[in-house]
Amino acid sequence: MQVAKIHDAVLEYEEEDVARMVQAEVDAGTDIKVILEEGLIKPLDVVGEQFSDGTLFVPEMLMAAEAVAAGLDIVRPLLVETGAKPAGTIVLGTVKGDLHDIGKNLVGMMLEGAGFQVFDLGTDVDPETFIAASKENQADIVAISGLLTTSMPEMEKTVAILRQDKETDNSNIKIMIGGPPVNQEFADKIGADAYGQDAPGAVEKVRELVSS
Amino acid sequence: MTWTHRERLLAALNHEEPDRVPIDLGGAEFTSVTLGAYEKLKKYLGVNVATEPMSIIHSVAHPAEVILERFGVDTRNVQPGGYEGGLDHWIDDNNYVDIFNVLWKHTKSDVDQHFLHKDGPFHGGKLTLDRVEECDWPDGKNPGLARGVKERVQAIKAKGGDHAVCLYLPGGVIHRGYAMRGFEAYLKDLYKSPQPLQLLMKKLCDFWCDTAETVINAAGPENIDIIYFGEDLGTQDGCMFDPDGIYANYLKPHHARMVSTVKGLTGHKVKVCFHCCGSAYHFIPHLIDIGVDALNPVQVTAKNMEPDRLKEEFGDKITFWGAINTQRILPFGSPEEVAEETRRIISILGKGGGYILNSVHNIQAEVPPENIVAMFETGLAHRYH
Repeated sequence: MQVAKIHDAVLEYEEEDVARMVQAEVDAGTDIKVILEEGLIKPLDVVGEQFSDGTLFVPEMLMAAEAVAAGLDIVRPLLVETGAKPAGTIVLGTVKGDLHDIGKNLVGMMLEGAGFQVFDLGTDVDPETFIAASKENQADIVAISGLLTTSMPEMEKTVAILRQDKETDNSNIKIMIGGPPVNQEFADKIGADAYGQDAPGAVEKVRELVSS
Repeated sequence: MTWTHRERLLAALNHEEPDRVPIDLGGAEFTSVTLGAYEKLKKYLGVNVATEPMSIIHSVAHPAEVILERFGVDTRNVQPGGYEGGLDHWIDDNNYVDIFNVLWKHTKSDVDQHFLHKDGPFHGGKLTLDRVEECDWPDGKNPGLARGVKERVQAIKAKGGDHAVCLYLPGGVIHRGYAMRGFEAYLKDLYKSPQPLQLLMKKLCDFWCDTAETVINAAGPENIDIIYFGEDLGTQDGCMFDPDGIYANYLKPHHARMVSTVKGLTGHKVKVCFHCCGSAYHFIPHLIDIGVDALNPVQVTAKNMEPDRLKEEFGDKITFWGAINTQRILPFGSPEEVAEETRRIISILGKGGGYILNSVHNIQAEVPPENIVAMFETGLAHRYH
């Protein structure tokens, strides 16, 4: 079956081939979900694993995520037509006071590639913006990134405000954090629901959170 | 014997034990102190001098002589003068364009006071040989780069104390490339547009090597002890790119040329310190291979960067410069914890020489002055014998 070829094209980072083959499969009447799961999500998981193992690196992960994005551009509107819901909705941003976005962007790309709907709020995002965007988009998860150690107190504040709002609203939204200076211990300390070690790790945690 | 600052530093770089661990602060733009922490430090020490920025873009202070003396700092910094007639200009207080036509924007934040590159001449579209060739490239022989260099060296020498002169040469072929092309586009071009990217790297390497020649000749080659440069090859959890593939084949040759250029210009007397944040572990053999003498900042909280592992595997071939934990202990620990960690690092990395005391990267804004003092006083009190 041709979906396997899409899978291979993702692993060869051939963005244009992926788009062409996805369109051909759609035209041939292949199940959209099969194209998505087998042709796009599966190979990106392979890349994610190899990245976390240290056998693939940032350029390869970027290229694979872009190849998948090229396929998603075709598949996504068709999924909406069928009424299928995304695997989950994530509001993502770099914490207030921090303008670094390389890691956050990688996380966003990998989450989208894994079939999640991602609303990227950019950098220097204050707690109120996280709250407003998560309500507007009925998010399942708020994901907060930061590079600097100076961002850690700001992250703590943001999580506290988000938790308070969550209690007021009696909502089930989950909060996760990531970035070089933070770890699981810090996530526990400030009351975040999860910590993503790297971009593929964030995808794994998001999957756990939405299925819990 | 009484050791001069220079002798102490060079002994460590030659893997010998001097009287105490050598200390650096402000030898280069990435071994100094951020303006936020510096103001608090000045107040704490009762030092009442005007703040001299080393870099406004990176929000880094040029520590005052009185503070360097107080901490027994063995290095003194020299860097290129300001480029003349280039593209660089301030649009306003928050937006700066550099000589490579890269736009830097201020973070405008209370906690993160520096500038980040946001646009450049090769952002967007496909990178082509013509685009790279037709760019308005700055010239490394520009006389402005030499301005003030000789005077600065003379001032260091005239002061007495025989300090180690550390020449910081900014830039390289990766970070400036990210700034000009965009981070993600640059990394993808390594695969998708390798030839134009190689030309971009060559242009950047030419500029760097020409700048090195201009500045070294202005300083007098015999007056420079250390050349400091570098760029990040690691991330917190691993390598930015494949160390034995992409790095070895495409990037390392440029770094090799840079090291051999400065060694050639100084009659092979100068020591080269390479700056690489994050997990540098898998790149260290390559850096040793091209003649790098010291690694900075030794980010001990990154993957595979445990001090004993580094010393055991590479300690006889490379000097470690930095390594005092910036991500945990300096900002959040007590002065006692800082002192204990400093002693621990000296005992591991400093065994048989081969270690220079400094924080991992610049001392960040939230680091309390008590902790800065604890780190340097522990170094000052250290004795090898």
